[in-house]
Amino acid sequence: MTNESIVRTKTRRLKIQWAPYVLILPSLIYLATFFAWPMVRAIRLAVWDEGALLTLREEAATRGQSAGALPQGASIALLDRQSIIAEPGEPVGGEVLTETWFRVQGNDSNGNPVEGWSPESRVRVRATDDEGAPTGGSIRPKLGAAADPLTSLYAEPNENSAVTGKLNSGATVVIQEQADLEVWFLIEGQRDGKTVTGWAPSRMLQIYGDGVSGRIDTGDTGQFTLTYIQRMLNDRFFRPALSTTLLLMVIIIPVQFFLAIIMALVIQARLKFNTLFLAIFAIPLAASDLAVGIVWYSIFTQSGYLNSVLQALGLLSSPVAYLTADTRHWIIVAIWLAEVWRATAIVMVIVVSGLQAISQEVLEAAEVFGANLWQRVRHVILPLLKPSLQVALILRTILALQVFAVVIALSGGEVVTVLANETYRQYYTLRNMNVAAAYAGFILLISMFSAVIYLRMVRSQEEANP
Amino acid sequence: MTTTNAPPVQVSDEMAQIRARARRRLLVGRAFTYLVGIVLALWVLIPIWLIASMALTTPETVRSYPKSVLPFITFSFDTMQFFLQSRGIVPGLINSVVVAVITLVLSTLIAAPAGYAISRYIFRGRDAFRLSILAVRAFPVVILSIPLAVTFINLGIFDQVYSLALMHTALTLPTTILVISSVFASIPYELEEAAQVFGCTPVQAFRRVVLPLVLPGIAASAIFTFVMSWNEVFAATVLTVQNRTLPAQVLVSLRQSPEPYKFAGGFFMLLPSVIFILFIRKYLFNMWGQISK
Repeated sequence: MTNESIVRTKTRRLKIQWAPYVLILPSLIYLATFFAWPMVRAIRLAVWDEGALLTLREEAATRGQSAGALPQGASIALLDRQSIIAEPGEPVGGEVLTETWFRVQGNDSNGNPVEGWSPESRVRVRATDDEGAPTGGSIRPKLGAAADPLTSLYAEPNENSAVTGKLNSGATVVIQEQADLEVWFLIEGQRDGKTVTGWAPSRMLQIYGDGVSGRIDTGDTGQFTLTYIQRMLNDRFFRPALSTTLLLMVIIIPVQFFLAIIMALVIQARLKFNTLFLAIFAIPLAASDLAVGIVWYSIFTQSGYLNSVLQALGLLSSPVAYLTADTRHWIIVAIWLAEVWRATAIVMVIVVSGLQAISQEVLEAAEVFGANLWQRVRHVILPLLKPSLQVALILRTILALQVFAVVIALSGGEVVTVLANETYRQYYTLRNMNVAAAYAGFILLISMFSAVIYLRMVRSQEEANP
Repeated sequence: MTTTNAPPVQVSDEMAQIRARARRRLLVGRAFTYLVGIVLALWVLIPIWLIASMALTTPETVRSYPKSVLPFITFSFDTMQFFLQSRGIVPGLINSVVVAVITLVLSTLIAAPAGYAISRYIFRGRDAFRLSILAVRAFPVVILSIPLAVTFINLGIFDQVYSLALMHTALTLPTTILVISSVFASIPYELEEAAQVFGCTPVQAFRRVVLPLVLPGIAASAIFTFVMSWNEVFAATVLTVQNRTLPAQVLVSLRQSPEPYKFAGGFFMLLPSVIFILFIRKYLFNMWGQISK
């Protein structure tokens, strides 16, 4: 159909056209955003440990020179502490230690006005504005005989900066500004047998009760890792999920093709109620997989239709429980029937369109020369249908890897599990995005393998009949 | 075959026998085909009949054993009513419809130009584009859902109906592009050309001639998009928590829910898609013919 229109439009090829590119641009952008990019993200989630390393700094500053890095979980010793203005954005992980400093203005003991920064611990807030921000207060008295009775004000919210003035205890001050500081620690730890020393923000660290030791809670630099993939492979549900998925694929697909070809042949016979048959055969095409799972649940559940019929026929004395942990094989049978029921329609539609493309003369010729039904199917129809069957096969293979809702409906997702269900369980129940992504990547890998075959096939077909 | 002026040919007994046998074989063959067709039709229809029987009766009948089918049991909407009054079902239904409608509109708007381009123009990269769409169609929703969930959480648009619709649009877009391109391909380009010969601008030719012809096809593709979004359950379950769509709501509450709820839910989800598909099946064949080409 398209080929004809291509021939017709061939004359348009002469000049370069922008129109088609403009027309496909939105879909290209959309598919890049919602297909290509998430796919890359999924792989990254599966093999990339976001917080593997914590970069230490020469100075207590976010953009300070790197002084090396320590892996997540490394034990550290705390050597020093300093506060800097917190970076905007929410702190992650660990225990965030913050300090608040005020920029205050007051009169020193000589009556001269002084202004500078003072830690919150030195100022008692006595007045706040409508929004609760402090506006005024007084200097707290210092305790202890040895202490300097005067409170220093600094040029910056940092005890190492220049002193701009000193205030008596009890002096009234105006609070001009408030700064939230984050505490940084000078830490020391071991990496690959070498000692690394540098500054790190408290939010990345876990500080032990003694106040002088701790561990790296989370890093800020990613690193390639196979941990998640290993965790997936060692997951006790991985092997059952993989084997069940493959088993289902192997038992579902041949039956689907067998039924689909028979359906297509019935349609091809051009019976009186041809369109009615076609419409009925196509019904499951639109059926939701969850709904189909429930339909077959109504048949296989203990008080379901299967038991009712068998008992009415006298084949059973009491209802049998099919969908239990002890009867895995019955659950597989139920999933098998449900999937065959649901997805045969897609194969049927592909086969019927393939059959319609075969010229009627070829089939009639075979009939005239005395070929019986089986010979016609085996030697004429199947070879001519090969391209359609291959496409249907790959499509069904990839879709079979995604079986999910039917399994949930029939087994609750515990007794019999499949790869898609494990992805869901890792994500939803265990809240482990990375292992879930590893599962997803694994499904991607198998699908990609099939898709490569699929693409090569389509291409060779397009070359075969240009 | 036989000339009209010749005397009627005396058919030998042997010949007559062969003919009779051939006719008998044809009849038997026909009857057999009918039989096979009817058996297969029953295979498709009986499960739908069973679930309809369970959904359109009283909850007491659903719980009873042995089970029976509709003409022989009480017909009632009680089970459906029970299902629809369960927690989260009506909001789920609304969410499902909203997601499906947004998906339908977005997907059709983005896909229609691309479908037109594929069917009407030859351009460098056309085959690559078609192949990548075919490839993308095949990719599992499972892979996309996890990273998109993480991204949506980071962007603060997680658990929103419209972010799920964005995801569903991505899922349905390849199919929609292929269906729409097959719809355009079925309208000969000569029609557009003729309109231009008679003085229409290309845009007018498109609006006055092509658009009325393709609208039914595009409507069919939109319905199919709606059905795909309505049925989708994995991404819906992963990407929503509070704002569940109907399938997601049924899926997560499946285990602790009674049988009347399950059966009514299954029937309720099955019904609209089955009805829709009966209307658009003609176009589905177009589409799959296109894809397997």
